Amino acid sequence: MDQTLNSPHPTGSPARSDAPAQSASAALARSTRAELFRLSRWPVLWVLVGVWLVLNLLFAYVFSYLAYRSGSGAFGTADVAPDRLLADLAPEAIPRLLTNGMPMFGGAIMLILGALATGSGYGWGTWKTAALQGPGRPATMGGTLLSLAVVVVGVVAATFVTDLGSAVLISSVESQTLAWPELADTARALGGSLLIFAMWTAAGAMIGVVTRSPAVGVGLGLVWALAVENLLRGVAGVLDGLEYVTDLLPGTAAGSMAGALGGMDTADGDGAPGVLTVLDGGPAALLLAGYAVVAAVVTVALASRRDVE
Amino acid sequence: MITAASCARCLARPNLIIHLALNFEGIAMDTAIEVDDLVVERGKHPVLHGISTRIQRGVITGLLGPSGSGKTTLMRAIVGSQVVKAGDVRVFGYPAGSASLRHRVGYVTQSPSVYGDLTVGENVRYFASLYKYGATEAAAAIANVGLDGHEDQMVSTLSGGQRARASLACALVGQPDILVLDEPTVGLDPVLREELWRQFRALAEAGTTLLVSSHVMDEANRCDRLILIREGSVIADDAPGAIKTAADADDMDKAFLTLISAQGEKG
Repeated sequence: MDQTLNSPHPTGSPARSDAPAQSASAALARSTRAELFRLSRWPVLWVLVGVWLVLNLLFAYVFSYLAYRSGSGAFGTADVAPDRLLADLAPEAIPRLLTNGMPMFGGAIMLILGALATGSGYGWGTWKTAALQGPGRPATMGGTLLSLAVVVVGVVAATFVTDLGSAVLISSVESQTLAWPELADTARALGGSLLIFAMWTAAGAMIGVVTRSPAVGVGLGLVWALAVENLLRGVAGVLDGLEYVTDLLPGTAAGSMAGALGGMDTADGDGAPGVLTVLDGGPAALLLAGYAVVAAVVTVALASRRDVE
Repeated sequence: MITAASCARCLARPNLIIHLALNFEGIAMDTAIEVDDLVVERGKHPVLHGISTRIQRGVITGLLGPSGSGKTTLMRAIVGSQVVKAGDVRVFGYPAGSASLRHRVGYVTQSPSVYGDLTVGENVRYFASLYKYGATEAAAAIANVGLDGHEDQMVSTLSGGQRARASLACALVGQPDILVLDEPTVGLDPVLREELWRQFRALAEAGTTLLVSSHVMDEANRCDRLILIREGSVIADDAPGAIKTAADADDMDKAFLTLISAQGEKG
């Protein structure tokens, strides 16, 4: 170890003065850059995004195409006519199908991402260092959320590109005329996808901060998203009045958004898990945006106010 | 502290603003940390009982005492992460934890604060970005803790000592004026400990103020000044030699025991 400091700016000079207080936006920008750097180098991010893209590809295209080719009923396609099966695999159908896997397992994956992104800072003990020495707690946690928002945009874009590529490939192989999706429909589907993933990611980030533990955050989040909401919807079927609550749950909003965009409800017999037709698109979008904002505000407020151990 | 009546510079130039500026400079030049009558309770149990001390700029101050004596609590109060019941803690004249101190105070906790699932280089680059520095400063910090060559190694695969040094690099990359180190040499072999202490000395010579806690008395002689703490109270606050002389002891262990006995007799 060198005895001589290699630092280009020796510390502790008496002449060193306080840096001028930077603006909140500059602090937020700096934190966001740092968090984007961390997330981009984080193996967990690429594993989760990779798992989502593979699952989406398998369930949205590969299994359905194999079912079409073999003429047999496969996953969720038992009673679907071959022509309709092929039509669902065309580029034109992307706005309807883009969000199909997002309310349930896509949302669960993004929830895990959010919970790990914030919870791991507590788990590894890095949050206290960042909070004490970084550009301030609100800016530091705000940067984490903004960088997660960038990730959400990237994941939705990657999902769309994957779907589009798969659809074009299948249409070409099957010698179908390429029918492109309507721009407005595509924009609505992309917007709905962003809202669904943003809500689940923000919810995960909030749970990670509430529990201050990546493992507990992931566990609790998954139990809620995959079990509790479904159980509550089941109970609402036998208890009058409970549906007013279950209709407003995050999973209901996400499922209804997918349903409003054209995804098939499982009640129809061939729909994807988690897709619902409880709410219209407008209320579902408002609820999703509301949940995302509330989760983000709670995340920043809790991280800013609680004691740093 | 210099007062208006005794300050020759102010008498020569009787201007309140100049006086305040010169006084502030006087504090900043000599004293980095001022702790006055600090009382801390944790879980309704008193941990620090009205501690007062001064920590000088550009020197290594050792904070020594047995486990549970309140060393970490005092450090947390200095870095601003500890709720205090009473008293005042100021760093460079500002209340501890002030926003203006954030980039000036580095804190290395007892357990390393680094992402285990990132490499050494990525960890230090991440913190460098947070502190508005870049790859050059990150590389320098890694070299300063002797981890050059390990930049691409995942932190989870490092030894305990290497992890501690990676954590130190993350604090150093912010180029703090004060470095608060909580038991930085715990679990390190003698060679690594020697290397780290050489590093601390180099930092102090470059102007950094270091506050280093330890419960190992043989590390006391490496410090310029010592604060001996027991059961939440300061029992000695002086240079190592002066403490040994006052206790009429050859080594710090004996001096510490003598001081405890003397304290008990007083009590």
